[in-house]
Amino acid sequence: MISVLEYLRPEKLDEALRILAGGEHTPVAGGTDLVLQLRDGRPRKVLDLGRLKLDFIRDNGDVIEIGSTMTHTALASDPLIIKSLPALSKASSLVGSLQIRNRGTVGGNIVNASPCADTLPALLLYDAEVVLKSASGTRTVSLSQFVLGPYRTALGPGEILYSIICRKAEAHTGWSYIKLGRRQAVNISRMTLAATIFMNGDGKIGSARLSAGSVFPAPSRIPRVERMLAGQTPSRELYREAACVAADMMIKESGHRWSTPYKKPVLISLLTRALTEAQGKSISGTVS
Amino acid sequence: MITTDVAVKFTLNGISMERNVPPGWTLLRFLREGLGFTGTKCGCEIGECGACTVMFNGEAVNACLVLAAQIDGANIWTIEGVALSGRELHPIQQAFVECDAVHCGFCSPGMVMSTVALLLHNRIPSNILIKESLAGNLCRCTGYIQIIEAVRKAASSIADMELEKFRH
Repeated sequence: MISVLEYLRPEKLDEALRILAGGEHTPVAGGTDLVLQLRDGRPRKVLDLGRLKLDFIRDNGDVIEIGSTMTHTALASDPLIIKSLPALSKASSLVGSLQIRNRGTVGGNIVNASPCADTLPALLLYDAEVVLKSASGTRTVSLSQFVLGPYRTALGPGEILYSIICRKAEAHTGWSYIKLGRRQAVNISRMTLAATIFMNGDGKIGSARLSAGSVFPAPSRIPRVERMLAGQTPSRELYREAACVAADMMIKESGHRWSTPYKKPVLISLLTRALTEAQGKSISGTVS
Repeated sequence: MITTDVAVKFTLNGISMERNVPPGWTLLRFLREGLGFTGTKCGCEIGECGACTVMFNGEAVNACLVLAAQIDGANIWTIEGVALSGRELHPIQQAFVECDAVHCGFCSPGMVMSTVALLLHNRIPSNILIKESLAGNLCRCTGYIQIIEAVRKAASSIADMELEKFRH
């Protein structure tokens, strides 16, 4: 039984921030995570962000600013997101079911901070920063520093996630996004991988980015592997070598379990696939 | 403890309404217990089964995950509004009957509402799009083959004007 005592839907942002400064209300947007939490008796007072017009996408040149209440459905079909942040568009299209994507928001996905949040590995590829607003001002934090661990964020008292700023990938950057789960739909991710590869004119990897979800306490980039790939001539062997390093890091993080003999080769082949696919979509073409 | 009811104005199946709803009620509970519209089924209540699917401003949503207070200003369609008149089935419902897409019937209201929303957005959906659009609706009887067939049949037999009312 849900025992909510108060529901407010302010029309203006400053009014919302003033109420939230009182410390009693929890923001709600799509509700696909929060309504489940309400059944456990918390929070008791909610403030709906739905009237605050936070469902925007702004093209600011090198970066795109996404309002926090943009739904997954909207992000998956937005032409600018498809063109400039394609891994995010793909991630959004794979969240839950259509019903959930129609209500669930990218801001909610971030603030809920599930280790298996689908949009986070994609956002991390684009150096996402979160814009946080409260009655006392605005601050911007990198997404990697905002998510502290499973279901824990650096969101302060009285703060809301206002928007997310993503850096556009360079032209001709290849990308991939792989979601692994036990079934095809309404699927809780067991592993997500997102990668981009930008090829230099000389046939060498200019820059590589790799992030993973569900396998670390919080979705994270894997800088060690990114450094390993930069400047190298791409080949299946190189990607496999990089995949082995990443897989070892993941297993070290989760601990050696009875399932490890199965998981390790799966991790290696998915990581290899993610990198190969990313390069395949870059302008340089195929992997030798 | 004092709870404050929330005033909501909305349209349900084309009819304007004003009500006060408890702040903790989901749309599902409000439809079933507040308005007596029990066509929308209560299955898992965690957004996984789709039995409570209704249309919210033209999009399929799980009524169990929407707060009733959030429907202020919205346009809601439930299974009760789909039939053409009191007795005559809508072509989408008729297609479900003709394709044997209804067995126990518990998922059917949700399946039909997902189909309405799909056809509003896409009049000639591909098989892949049909599957994606129904992926959030569980059926434990049919194996889905007949349901997908019903959606294809509905898409090919329905006239644009038979979808028109759902736009308002």
